Amino acid sequence: MVETLDIPDIMQADRHDMGFCPGCTHTRVLETLGRVLKKRNLKPQDVCIVSDIGCIGIADRYFTCHTFHGLHGRSVTYAEGLKRARPDLTVIVLIGDGGCGIGTGHLVHTARRNADITVIVCNNFNFGMTGGQHSPTTPPCGLTVTTPHGADAHVMDICSTVTINGAAFAARCSAYTDACEQQLSDAINTPGFALVDVWELCVAHYVGRNKLNPKVLTDLSHQLSLPFDVIARTHSTVPAATSTAPAENAPAVAGITRRSSIRKSLILPRRTEIIVAGSAGQRIRSACGVIGTLVTAANAHAAQCDDFPITVRKGFSVSSLVLSHKPIRNYCLMNPNLVLILSDDGHQRIAQTMDLATPPSVYINDAIIRVDTPRTWRPLPLHNIEKAVGKNAASLAILARLIVQSGMIDPNVLMELATEALTGRHRDDQLRAIAWATRNASSQEGSNP
Amino acid sequence: MEFITGNQAVVRGALKAGCNYVAGYPITPASSILNECVTAFDNGAGTIIQTEDEIAAIGQCIAASMAGAKPLTATSGPGLCLYSENIGFAQMVEAPLVIVDCQRMGPATGGATATGDGDVIFAGNVTPGGYPLPVFAATDAVSAYKLTYLSFNIAERLRTPVILLTSRDIALTRQSVDLDAVQLPPVIKRQWADPDASFSPYEYDSIENVPDFLPIGGPVPVRCTGSIHGPDGLLTNDRHAIDRKLAHLSAKIMDHRHELTHVDADRDPQADTLILSYGVADGAARDAVDELRSQGHRITHLTLYTLWPMPEQAIRNAASVNVTRIIVPELNIGLYAEQLRRVIHTADIQSITRIDGGLIRPEQIIEAYTMAPCQ
Repeated sequence: MVETLDIPDIMQADRHDMGFCPGCTHTRVLETLGRVLKKRNLKPQDVCIVSDIGCIGIADRYFTCHTFHGLHGRSVTYAEGLKRARPDLTVIVLIGDGGCGIGTGHLVHTARRNADITVIVCNNFNFGMTGGQHSPTTPPCGLTVTTPHGADAHVMDICSTVTINGAAFAARCSAYTDACEQQLSDAINTPGFALVDVWELCVAHYVGRNKLNPKVLTDLSHQLSLPFDVIARTHSTVPAATSTAPAENAPAVAGITRRSSIRKSLILPRRTEIIVAGSAGQRIRSACGVIGTLVTAANAHAAQCDDFPITVRKGFSVSSLVLSHKPIRNYCLMNPNLVLILSDDGHQRIAQTMDLATPPSVYINDAIIRVDTPRTWRPLPLHNIEKAVGKNAASLAILARLIVQSGMIDPNVLMELATEALTGRHRDDQLRAIAWATRNASSQEGSNP
Repeated sequence: MEFITGNQAVVRGALKAGCNYVAGYPITPASSILNECVTAFDNGAGTIIQTEDEIAAIGQCIAASMAGAKPLTATSGPGLCLYSENIGFAQMVEAPLVIVDCQRMGPATGGATATGDGDVIFAGNVTPGGYPLPVFAATDAVSAYKLTYLSFNIAERLRTPVILLTSRDIALTRQSVDLDAVQLPPVIKRQWADPDASFSPYEYDSIENVPDFLPIGGPVPVRCTGSIHGPDGLLTNDRHAIDRKLAHLSAKIMDHRHELTHVDADRDPQADTLILSYGVADGAARDAVDELRSQGHRITHLTLYTLWPMPEQAIRNAASVNVTRIIVPELNIGLYAEQLRRVIHTADIQSITRIDGGLIRPEQIIEAYTMAPCQ
């Protein structure tokens, strides 16, 4: 024991000075935890006690180590955050049975992630601090202020709950047995998520209404088939928490997006508004994104707003694209100059919000033209263009050709921009589309009514 | 120049500020902030985790902050509801934390893929107890970048949660930006205490001052608690200590409101009309102001990037003696205009609203301007 002489006790309070009711088992559990920490030679700066809400929540003041007292049921989330930020810290949660109810989700998922923390459940079968209401662990027929005729809900098996979800260690004990100290010690020793369900007596509320004493705790464990034992012990070495690097090591900002070194400048009109309306799979967002990227690479301005259902592989896909020689502050389409309708889905979607008779140029996939299509349309031989450039490149090919035909961008400049600025796995498709658009810019195919 | 979304701009601002801990839960239209951070931290430069819900996300961020990290979490209105309790906790333990709310349309699930500015009052009053916290509103990707960066500085400087509002059309619209051209002040880091000295985690000589910080997990044991506490970080019943702590939570924000005021004032001393805008409606307001001025009208335009504490002095300065009416376009039922009426009594406040998930058009503002003002 010589080597521990210089280490101050982490749990320093005398049981008579603690704020718990006389006879409350919380005192006993804290003393047991204090012995475990002392035997492990842990220094106060090596440990953080995270206390949940309820009577056990006042325990922080009895410890000399780091302490963190948070919200009801959320202690496990704080513990995981602390451990991820400070992987060398021993993080121990003190939570009640009520906290395990309101925070069940956190227990389950923190166990799934196998976060390297220890959770000590001070389980006294009711909400003591608020006056003796039933909790998820109140035994069948247990009398509480909110179950005056006896509890009738199934008892939550906290150990099994975390075990089936990946906890590295789970054990259950009576606070009145020697096994408690061993289980707490084993839990803290365990790399990964460890939980000990410690059964206690709430002398203020639960014991007054129900026959319960240390002996009956053991009987209850048999009755409920919730044995006092180690329930799960794995030898997991999952590195649940990784270190947070210093802020100075944050990734170089320039590394996120490839920057273009193109010096070319585009002279765009004051404001051009384009809508491309089609269906999922026609690569409409991608096509508008390419034009926006190329315009931006040439120091002009673009804004792209997409509209699509949450089921992204089905239904409409509509993108609006605003191009301008000056910064675009208003993304709202005012008077679209060019409308491309590539499918029925897209047609129906934009017909809800705009009068298609107004825009000066409306191009419609010739396969979907119907009697009620606007009279100013021009047919677009989408099928032929898909055959020429491939399905994945067709939308971009059409959009790029119409932009070139409008005179906004010189075809050679567009090709040069594309070659320099485009990256990613669709680059080949995109370059093929732009090349086709620049080659066919003078063709009037698909441009006449 | 780059072609990026507002969400990407938020991530860039966070990285520039030194953010190194991100926890979040997917929600449209904020999800791509989480996705981008996975890529950004892939080299181990920071911690990124998708949690089981928003409560765990903000809980982890607060704890990591108290351990010395610079955290970010992003959500939309429904998630801000779930953050609410922990935002109060962050106020109480004085945890620096940046929260981004990419607003959507309406209450409840509302319109996940539609825009709105409906959280402007909620964000400023998101916790019980009634203590102030800074709330900023971006107007586009560039301001989202800058305000994210500034939010980290303010969170660190004042040890407070800071909320940055964007909305669907800022978050998801790809825009041409030159982030390198954005002028930024130096990074501010929270004031650390001398670890050798006897340390009290919540000690300040005057209530408007910010307590020096030491991290949980460092060489000196540190306490923090969401319960009302004294300088030692332990629950207290001492009325003097209680009064001092709670007065401090208010004073450290309100006495530094000049540091929190970010506006863009485009004044015309002869103007009789002030157009006051924030959020995504600001773009339409700017176009409307240009158009009206080109027609010879005299207009002052004020963009608010700070919503809370309300930049009252800047608003009064813009609403100078000649201003008889203030036009406020916003994508909600007129929430901020209603708050302005409590503060400004010298001008008629005319609200322009749109709530169907679409954007306010410049014409809508021009039309409101040309209508005879109510007398």
